[in-house]
Amino acid sequence: MSQSATTSDIPTGREALTESHVWQVYARRKYDEPLYEIGNVTADDVELAKVYARSIFDEFSWIEMVIIPRETIVTVIAS
Amino acid sequence: MATGTYIDNAALFALLSSLADNKQAIARRYAYWSCGAPALEAAVAAAAMTQDELGHARTLYPLLEDFSQSELDLSQVDPVTRTLQYHLSYLDHDFQGWSDFVATNFLLDTALTTFFEAAQNSSYEPLSQRARKVIQEERVHFVHGDGWVRRLARMGKAVRASLVTSLSRLWDETLCWFGPNDEPGMQRLYQEGILDASPDELRSRYLQKIMPTLHNLELTVPVASNATTKTWEPTHELPWSIWNSTSRRLEGKVQ
Repeated sequence: MSQSATTSDIPTGREALTESHVWQVYARRKYDEPLYEIGNVTADDVELAKVYARSIFDEFSWIEMVIIPRETIVTVIAS
Repeated sequence: MATGTYIDNAALFALLSSLADNKQAIARRYAYWSCGAPALEAAVAAAAMTQDELGHARTLYPLLEDFSQSELDLSQVDPVTRTLQYHLSYLDHDFQGWSDFVATNFLLDTALTTFFEAAQNSSYEPLSQRARKVIQEERVHFVHGDGWVRRLARMGKAVRASLVTSLSRLWDETLCWFGPNDEPGMQRLYQEGILDASPDELRSRYLQKIMPTLHNLELTVPVASNATTKTWEPTHELPWSIWNSTSRRLEGKVQ
């Protein structure tokens, strides 16, 4: 590892790390209920998005949770 | 709470002490970044990981009471009164930046998980029970560490350089934590079935976990791939002259 720098050089703000991909988070608590939207997370990496969704929306013991990239959502009827 | 029947195993006592101290120290360092991470989501994840690490420490310290070695000084088995520090010297001070958090998450915590994986079927049942729970929680931690290493490395320039510095500072001490291969204590644990691997085998398993990421990102570390055995091996002698086998940490500087 020949490169060197002080660790204080690292950007600390959200702007510096420019997370731009929003993921809609859906989950359900019971088998007889459908998935419903519980919120969203911002992450450029799908694996990190999964970690974030799991840690942020930990208020229930979900039986299923999925994330969907917001940009893939297709509007059928615009508001 | 001690069970009444004491176990006499200095090697296991020392190793459990080091595991607990490292988990406790990691939690303390992570906690600071629960409100200082570069993104809100990362801060929440840091808080969750802090809780997990504290939980791991708190399931390990009570085990120490069951060892005859604890009778020498009972205050050393309680994290509140314990004064000994068997955690890595890297954790003695606050992290200098987010890259220190990421390096600890990716390198050190993964090394500790490698140890727990080797104890899943341990002949010492209290450890095997805890190992399974720890491994389950650590899967998410590894994904977090791996994701952030990739992210910081790909950002290039100062951010990548900062990551490289953090990884370098932690590298030797983490590899040393498994101990020299001929360490009597670790060999005893291996022979008694408390662990299913020797120190060299643990190091090899550990490198198999982390090297694909580092290699793909062209983050150069002092290991080489052995084409015959298809394993990763350190290319330089680890600094055993300054490694303390009791506290399992580096003390002083390489001569």
